[in-house]
Amino acid sequence: MRDAYIIGAGQTPFGAMPDRSYRSLFLTAFERAVESVPDGIDEEDIDEAIVGSLGVGGRQLGLSGPAATEHLGLHGIPSSRIENACAASGYAVRQAVQAVKSGMADVALAGGVEVMTDMSSDMTKYWLGVSGETEWERLTGTTFAGVYAQMASTYLDQYDASREHLSMVAVKNHGNGAKNPNAHLGFECSIDDAMEAPDVAHPLNLYHCCPTSDGAAAVLVASEDVVDEYAEEPVRVAGVGASSERVGLFQRDEYTSIASSRRAGATAYERAGVDPSDIDFAEVHDCFAIAELLAYEDLGFCDPGGAPRLLEDGVTELGGDIPVNASGGLKSKGHPIGATGAGQIAEAFKQLSGKAGARQVEDPTYGLTHNVGGSGGAAVVHVLEREVGR
Amino acid sequence: MTDVRLKSFGAYSPRLRISAEEFREAWGHFEAAGVQTKAVPEADEDALTMGVEAARRAIETADITATDIGYLVVATTTPPMAESDLTARLASLLGVPADATTRTLTGSTRAGAQALDAALDAGPWEEQSGLVVAADCPTGSPDSGIEHAAGAGGVAVVVGGDGAGTVRDRSSYVEPFPGTRFRDAGEGATAELGVTDYDRQSFETALRGAVDGLSEFEDADAAAVQSPDGKRPYRVTDALGVTADQIAAADTVSTLGDTGAASALLGAAKAFDDGAECVLLAAYGSGAGANAMIIEGPIPTTCALEGDAELTYPEYLRRRGDITADEPDGGGAYVSVPSWKQTVPQRHRLIAGECPSCDALNFPPSGACRKCHTRPDAYETVALPGTGTIEGVTTIAQGGAPPEFAEQQSKSGPFVSAVVSLDGPRGDETVSVPSQVLTPGASSVAIGDRTEAVIRRIYQQEGVIRYGFKMQPVDSD
Repeated sequence: MRDAYIIGAGQTPFGAMPDRSYRSLFLTAFERAVESVPDGIDEEDIDEAIVGSLGVGGRQLGLSGPAATEHLGLHGIPSSRIENACAASGYAVRQAVQAVKSGMADVALAGGVEVMTDMSSDMTKYWLGVSGETEWERLTGTTFAGVYAQMASTYLDQYDASREHLSMVAVKNHGNGAKNPNAHLGFECSIDDAMEAPDVAHPLNLYHCCPTSDGAAAVLVASEDVVDEYAEEPVRVAGVGASSERVGLFQRDEYTSIASSRRAGATAYERAGVDPSDIDFAEVHDCFAIAELLAYEDLGFCDPGGAPRLLEDGVTELGGDIPVNASGGLKSKGHPIGATGAGQIAEAFKQLSGKAGARQVEDPTYGLTHNVGGSGGAAVVHVLEREVGR
Repeated sequence: MTDVRLKSFGAYSPRLRISAEEFREAWGHFEAAGVQTKAVPEADEDALTMGVEAARRAIETADITATDIGYLVVATTTPPMAESDLTARLASLLGVPADATTRTLTGSTRAGAQALDAALDAGPWEEQSGLVVAADCPTGSPDSGIEHAAGAGGVAVVVGGDGAGTVRDRSSYVEPFPGTRFRDAGEGATAELGVTDYDRQSFETALRGAVDGLSEFEDADAAAVQSPDGKRPYRVTDALGVTADQIAAADTVSTLGDTGAASALLGAAKAFDDGAECVLLAAYGSGAGANAMIIEGPIPTTCALEGDAELTYPEYLRRRGDITADEPDGGGAYVSVPSWKQTVPQRHRLIAGECPSCDALNFPPSGACRKCHTRPDAYETVALPGTGTIEGVTTIAQGGAPPEFAEQQSKSGPFVSAVVSLDGPRGDETVSVPSQVLTPGASSVAIGDRTEAVIRRIYQQEGVIRYGFKMQPVDSD
């Protein structure tokens, strides 16, 4: 199969934007993606679109793909919405890669959009809850924070780890997000702030939980047959892996690792022909602080139980061996559910293009994105490669 | 006069208590004489869940199983739903066979004694046993004597062809006394006109009428007399020919409050638990009517009537739902009633399934096996014993509950949510479930703690109460 390339990617700022419709957010992300294509692109070259969304608060649950792309003027092209909870647009990108690799499209648009902040808190809780295992987990009173807190409780019990390590994730990601103009919560926080915040679901406090945000992101994927028209040194999709797992935590064999992340990571590395040690930076799915620790281990940056050491040693800080969430991650950059995965790709594209500004990782070749749906029912990992001297 | 014998008593009260002093501070007075503390149902408790608690204890004490029960009668003045058969869910929650004869008695605080009376008439049964359940949690308007006294509790009696207890004599009496304690159709709170002498006359006349119909009971160790408050039964000692000591020997009202339809039977359970060999049962219902019995024992009894959490008056109002919001407008996660019904065996009785390919336990037993991922034609169903170990645990902080649980949290505060590995029917095999964990007396829960299943209200949606299991620490009794 032919190779697929990221030729452009962009996002809106993530945050609270009650004055913006989901369509206008998606339009902004799309325009930024188009502007980012090094040698420009005629929008009529786009053959297909896949839009990730949890359901934009129910306002366009059906046909939100066509509703978004027709608004952009991408008239008549096949367009559909993909739903995989918080991994919706990570999967949208994967699907665009499939379309391009299969030969059904030369250029495909993948993106995501969500509006979360203009609803009552009750309505927001409703939408956040619909992606957990409903019949047993949710309807015994468990929230998403609750499920990740249960994982955290087991992790802290099993390994040499403490709540301070959870707070270190918040400090690191807020520090990075403060350098990102697109971040929802782009301010620094101290370890004291991150230790003393009120509990949401013990052991997780407010600083161990990401916000819910409004926002959109868009990614343009092109085939190797046409990529030269758009960029001289494009970003290659070196490997993609995706995997599913039981939706309810209680149905799984382990609570201190997300098996779908492990499998998705292993597949992506294998297809890319690289090892975790080849990765120069990663955007991982830190919806809750514990999720970032699990991601280090599931993606092979360290052994099980080793994540606290990476944090203590600054390995995943900007300037460390594997900077993780240079963008600020979900914690600081924000989490507009359906847009998050494509937003990670947009960050990786920026980093690999050397355009990440104050948060730029030094001269990266391989970047990894890791996008998880729910508490691990779905995961998708992309390994992207800056192809020099193509 | 009946061949039916009493095998056992079981009794239960909620763990929450409020003191008379809290009422005095809030209102400047306390209208329930002789009540020092009273039991308060937790937000997820009602007459049905208290009845289950009492019945499980009675069944275990009688050394029978629920499948042995062929006759089930339940009595309460506070059925959780005004219409909808209470016995269907009670039978399912307990595991009583579907073809058992079932009865519901309500509308009077003597319904509990009437239920026992009915069981005595219905039996004995050849192979089977009968189960009498009375549970109640009355309410009144906030500053009324009825509300000040209103307590909560449940009691159950297992009856059958053999057993340690006998009913030597029984009697019933009615005489119209309109306007004593009553509740209009559609009302939640019980009211009374407060014509004190008339109310006393009604109480005394009906009870004396019933007791006068009995043979001698001079040997009674205790007199379990209906106790709408802690003083009323002592006013009828002369009329009934009992002593204050006999009444005190069956006292529950001073600690549990008015337990309505469970009141007299709870008193009897308390007395038998304390070793009584003969108890006078004298139950009264306004309107008015009374039932009296002489019960001879001793009778094996298990009581769980201890309180371990004191409420302030505001906390009490929250539990009662007086100052809390209903289900929020945002809507909740939706499991239709028909699809909930499909999981009733799991929610009521912890029915799991064994995979025919790899023997792994699956809960719920449907779809592909969680271990070997094959799809069996059918799982081998097994009942789990209901004990389990905490594997992962959190506390959902105040305000953080999902919409369906907002009302519960509004009433009871933060709750513990855990993944619990339930013990299998044998050996090391376990299967995990998500569950709330009750934390009586502000106890904490940690990974590795042992827990057991109890029946509670899980949530209410579309007006339908969803009952199911929650876990509680095993050593909490």
